[in-house]
Formats: sequence, C-alpha cells, structure tokens
Amino acid sequence: MDITRREVLHQIAVGGAGVAAGGAISAVALTEVAHAEEGGVPPEAVGMLYDATKCIGCQTCVVACTAANGLTPDTRYDALHQTPGDLNNHTKTIIKLYKEVDGKETSFVKQQCMHCLEPACVAACMFGGLKKDATTGIVSWRGKYCVGCRYCQVACPYNVPKFRWEGFNPEIVKCEFCKERLAKGQEPACTTVCPKKAVIFGKREDLLKEAKQRIAANPGKYYEDRVFGEKEAGGTQVFYLSHVPFDKILPEPGDESVPGKYLKWQKRLYSYLVVPAGLYAVLVGSIRKNWKGHEEHMEHEEKETGLRAQL
Amino acid sequence: MSKTWERAVPVYDVPIWTRTFKVLCGLAALGMILVVYREIAGLGPASGMNDAYAWGIWKTFNTMVLTALGSGAFAIGIAAWIFNKSKLHVVMRTAVLSSFLAYAFGLCMLGVDVGRPWNFYWILFPWHWNLHSPLLEVAVCMTFYASIPLFLENIPPVLDFFYGERPDLRESIKKLEKVIVAGFPWVVALAYVLPAMHQSSLGALMLLGGVRVSPLWQTPFLPLLYVWAAAFLGFAFVTMILLLGWLVWNRAIDMEILSELQRICMWLVGVWLVFRVVDLSVRGQILAAFRFNFDAFLFWVEMGVLAVAFFKLRTSVQLQSPRTMFYSAVLTCVGGMLYRFDPTTAAFSPKLEAAYFPSVIEVLVSVGFMSLGILIFIFAAKVLPILPGSNALAREAEAERAKNPVLRFLAPKAGQQQFVTGD
Repeated sequence: MDITRREVLHQIAVGGAGVAAGGAISAVALTEVAHAEEGGVPPEAVGMLYDATKCIGCQTCVVACTAANGLTPDTRYDALHQTPGDLNNHTKTIIKLYKEVDGKETSFVKQQCMHCLEPACVAACMFGGLKKDATTGIVSWRGKYCVGCRYCQVACPYNVPKFRWEGFNPEIVKCEFCKERLAKGQEPACTTVCPKKAVIFGKREDLLKEAKQRIAANPGKYYEDRVFGEKEAGGTQVFYLSHVPFDKILPEPGDESVPGKYLKWQKRLYSYLVVPAGLYAVLVGSIRKNWKGHEEHMEHEEKETGLRAQL
Repeated sequence: MSKTWERAVPVYDVPIWTRTFKVLCGLAALGMILVVYREIAGLGPASGMNDAYAWGIWKTFNTMVLTALGSGAFAIGIAAWIFNKSKLHVVMRTAVLSSFLAYAFGLCMLGVDVGRPWNFYWILFPWHWNLHSPLLEVAVCMTFYASIPLFLENIPPVLDFFYGERPDLRESIKKLEKVIVAGFPWVVALAYVLPAMHQSSLGALMLLGGVRVSPLWQTPFLPLLYVWAAAFLGFAFVTMILLLGWLVWNRAIDMEILSELQRICMWLVGVWLVFRVVDLSVRGQILAAFRFNFDAFLFWVEMGVLAVAFFKLRTSVQLQSPRTMFYSAVLTCVGGMLYRFDPTTAAFSPKLEAAYFPSVIEVLVSVGFMSLGILIFIFAAKVLPILPGSNALAREAEAERAKNPVLRFLAPKAGQQQFVTGD
C-alpha cells in the first residue's frame, strides 16, 4: 500500500505536537537552571589575592584552615606531622614549594578552590550538589543534592574537589571561603592568620585593583605583569601574583572557561529540547509509514505458515 | 542460500543447568557479595580509584563501554524500522534483550559506583536537573530508555511464552498485544531518540575533561564519534551473539541476514575511520599520532584493529564464511570498545604522578555484573523465543514444549484447556 507525502507530513505534525508540548513545559522549568550557570562577575563577589613573592611557606594557613573547618589534620604520612601530599579530604588548602633540582628559582604556592566565574564542577554536577552563590560567587557543596559521582573531580581544571574515599557516606571536600566565618562577620581562617599578608581576603574588584597596583609599583617583579585569575578559565575569584612562570606552580587552563569551551555545542543541541523533539517526530512518522507494510507481512506469514505472528 | 531465519525460537533442546551456567552464577554471586563490602567499606578500600583518577572501570567500562555493545536495539532497530531493512526484524529480539541487559546492569554499576546513591531520587524532580551536565543527560536518558522503551520492546517474547504455556491466558494476551501494537511506533521511535542522546552524551562526558584527555581523542566531535561507534558496536555484538548461538548451540544460520548485518557494520566502521582521520587532520592533531608515546600507541592499536576489522568484514561477506564473520565481529567489538574506553582512562592524564589500575575487587564486581547479564541472556534464550530460527524448528520446539511445558507446575487444569481449544 502506498502512502502519500501529505499523510507522512500529517503524521510528523501529530507526533511533533505532543512532543512540543512536553518540550515547552520542560524548557520553562529548565530556563532557570540555565540562567544560574551563565558567567559574569556576581555583584558581591568576594575573593582572595595570593602573592607568591610575599609567602614564607610557614603553613600557618594550612593549620588554621584545618582547625576552622573542623577537619582532622592529615597525619597519614608518619602519624606525627601534618604533612598532606596534596589537597585531600582532610586538606582544603595547601602550601607547596616549587624548586627545580639545580634550582635558583623557587616559589611557594598556596592551592585551594579558585571559585571560578564559570565553574566546570558546577556545570558537571547533576542536581546542583555544587552551587555557585549568585551574590558572593562562593562555590559550595550541598550534600543533600550530591550523588557522589565525582564528575566535579574529572571536570575541575585545577584538580580541586576532593572525595572522601573511606566509609559508606562520602563527601566532597573543598574550600568554601570559610562561609560560616563570613556569616559571623569574620574573615576566612587562612587570610586572618597569614603573618606576611601573602594571602588577603576582600571584594573581587578591590583585590584586582590591589594586584594591578602592586604590578604598577614594582615593574619587572611579577611574571608577565599578569594577574592570574583575571581571565584564566573564564576568570576566577582567587588571584595569584608570582615571580616564577605560572605553569610551574599552577595548571594553566587558558582563558576560555571549561564549560564555555567544551560544552558550547552540547548546549545548543539541547536548548529547549527542540532538536530531540523534532527528531522524535520525524522518527514516529517514518516508523508509522513502515509499520503498515510490516503488519501486512506478518499477517501474510501467519496465514501461510499457521504460526503466530511475532512482533 | 535457503532462508533459515524466519522467526524467533527458543533453544529448547539444551539443558539450562549446565556447568557454564553454574560458573556464571558463582561469579555473579561473588560480585554481589563484594558489592555489599563496597557499600560498607566505601570506594577507597574497594577500588583503585583516587582523587586524580576519580572514575574507575565501573563507570568507564561497565557503564560507558558495555552500553555501547548494548546498542544493537538502537542501531539494528534504526536499520530495520527507519531504513526499512525488513529482513533484520527477525534478529531484533536478540538485539533488544542484549541491549536491555547491558543497560540494566550498566545502570546498576553506576549505582554501585556513585558514593551517595540515595540522592538519586532528585531524578524525579526535573526542576532540580542541571540540563547542561552531560552526566545528568546520560543518567536521565539511560534510566528512561531502559525502563520504558527497551523494557516494552522485551515484552512480546514473554507474552509468546505465556501464550504457549498457558492456553487459558491466550485471550487476555491477545488483548494486551493489541494495546502494545497500537503504541509500538511511538515507543520504538523513543527507543532511537534516547540512545542517540545518551550515547553521544557519554562522549560529551569527556569533553569536560578538557586538556587532560589526549588531543588524539579530545574533539568537539567526540559525541558524534561515540554514538557512531555505539552503532557499529551494536551491529557487531549482535552478530557475535548470533554466531555464538551457532557455535555453542548448533543453531542453523542464515547467511543472507548475517551478510546484511556485516555489510552495514562494515560501512559504519569505514565511515567512522575516515571521519576520525579527517577530524584529526582538521584539528591539526594528526602529527600527535606519530609521536613516540603511549597515547599514539593506543591510537594505532584502535585504528589498526578497526581497519583490520573493516577488511575482514568485507571478506567475510565475499567468502560467505561464518568463521570470518565471527572473527570480524569480535575484532570490531574489541576496536570499538578500546575507542570508547581509552579517553576515559588510558589516554586521560589528570596529573603527572597519578596512576590508576583497577583493584581485584573492582574487577570481580565488574565481572559479576557481566556474568549476571550473560546468564540471564542464556536462560532467556533457552526459555523464550529470542534467537532466530526456521519455521520448521519453531514447530519442533512447539511440539516439544507441548509435551514438556517449562511451567509444568503452572500447567492449566484439563477443564480450562478444553475451554480454550474452542477458538
């Protein structure tokens, strides 16, 4: 039996209508999520500025961070010293030392969450277990929504989120700018205790001005006269100044944000579910067209063989 | 060449409780016990995963690779229903069952792999979804696909079974089948849109890995290459199962249909290979393949295996040799699986000093879930009409089953039987 072009189009249209309705509803529901993810500097964005030329590597910040966040000090190395090898589930910030073997050039570096303007971890997170605060820009973990999939760890360009690998109730651990202390009107633990003011806390815009002033006041002192974090990975809320090349002390992810660079097409493809809905409509039309022939064939076979038709 | 595959027929002449079956049961049981250990002790003690390699084989192999093998229902279904290759309908039951099992246990493994599975219930609240997360897309689409369209596609063989075993239920089964037939095109279309979405999103997962994924794999076309690989893996895996039915259970084979499967698979592999090389060249990364390092080695193994598979697929059709067909299908599976696996683990370098190798427990749990899938398939193929056979074989099976019903204990009473024979 033949089927006309008009009938096919009609079927496609019928198929499309239902899907379009469903798509529209989900689209409205999802626009909010989409908005929350777009970049830009939050209005009350807070941040930190770490100046590697000032840091003396005393690790007071590491100890203060552990205490302020109620973490167990990481003494796994010898049960005697707090010497974490890297950021881990006991350690939200760490001081590392860059020194080549024949090293003239050395530098300390403090590592912690960068609180990106367009965080890859938040883009990866399924139900908003990691969320960027719309006003302060603090990226924090919300256990209620975390499935423990560890996609944030795969996605973060700075290797920051850490997972508690032991036990049946694991958590994601990362710097949250001591948000409980902030709520009480205090500064984060690490900036409070730093004896050299190598790391300072403040509003993101003020810190950026401060960093640029230091560069202007000390020509040739800082690497490339660059404030790391102004543009890196789409911009972050933690800034670095350094006398050694940044790629010696930090990952250099490039200026584009990870989600902006890698999920561009994915976002377009799924925006408002138009493409999947359209595809579904076309497929329903096509299958219904072929269905008739299949059914007739089955009936014919059933009559001829006496065996029940199989779907 | 005579037509030997006309309808699905159970493997009725082989015992179920065999040695292989017992071994598989043992492996599955061991896996499940170790899952209990993992849930109590946590992921650290049970696996080789760490903060740098946060994903291990449970996710990267059982979920991301094995569901590609289970894409037969998607790939062959599209050929049969959309491109109207009507002779492929007869192998669809093999495809939909293998797909269902691959997906069901892939999802189970995802549940075992995540640290806080109790929070998965947010999947029921779409306003909590982060639609931009490729993993959300995968989790939602896969769950939806496996539990609705793929599940429904597997109902007809079960109805056939009860139609044969329980004559008293025949009228209700016929009514139910009418309902299923009416909704079938809508369901089947969904069974193609959803895998197209999540199989490509499995590739998109690694996009967020950014520069940590070797440039030989990291491309904006990763999703397309992933879904395309799923398509030829689906074909190759179903062909492999069909030929295993021939090797293990002496089932007759239909060269015409096998040739059709192999031919389509060959073109899918060929186009994929060309596309991969073009993509590398356009991105200016083709030279990375000629560096002397592990990534380049992996790349050549993948491309080599698939290139050999391509030519073997071609010769197998020319020679009409089932043996070559089997080898080529296996090679295609191996090459495709390597491609799907490499960017997640072997060609993924988060940090210089970090390393990952699956622990014994990880491997045993992974094997346990695979064994569970295989043993359910074997059981189903022996009880339900799944594997294709001839009409003559179907009549034999029916006569045999009439004498020895599987559901002997549920056999209807004599009076009921008389009542139904009237129609």
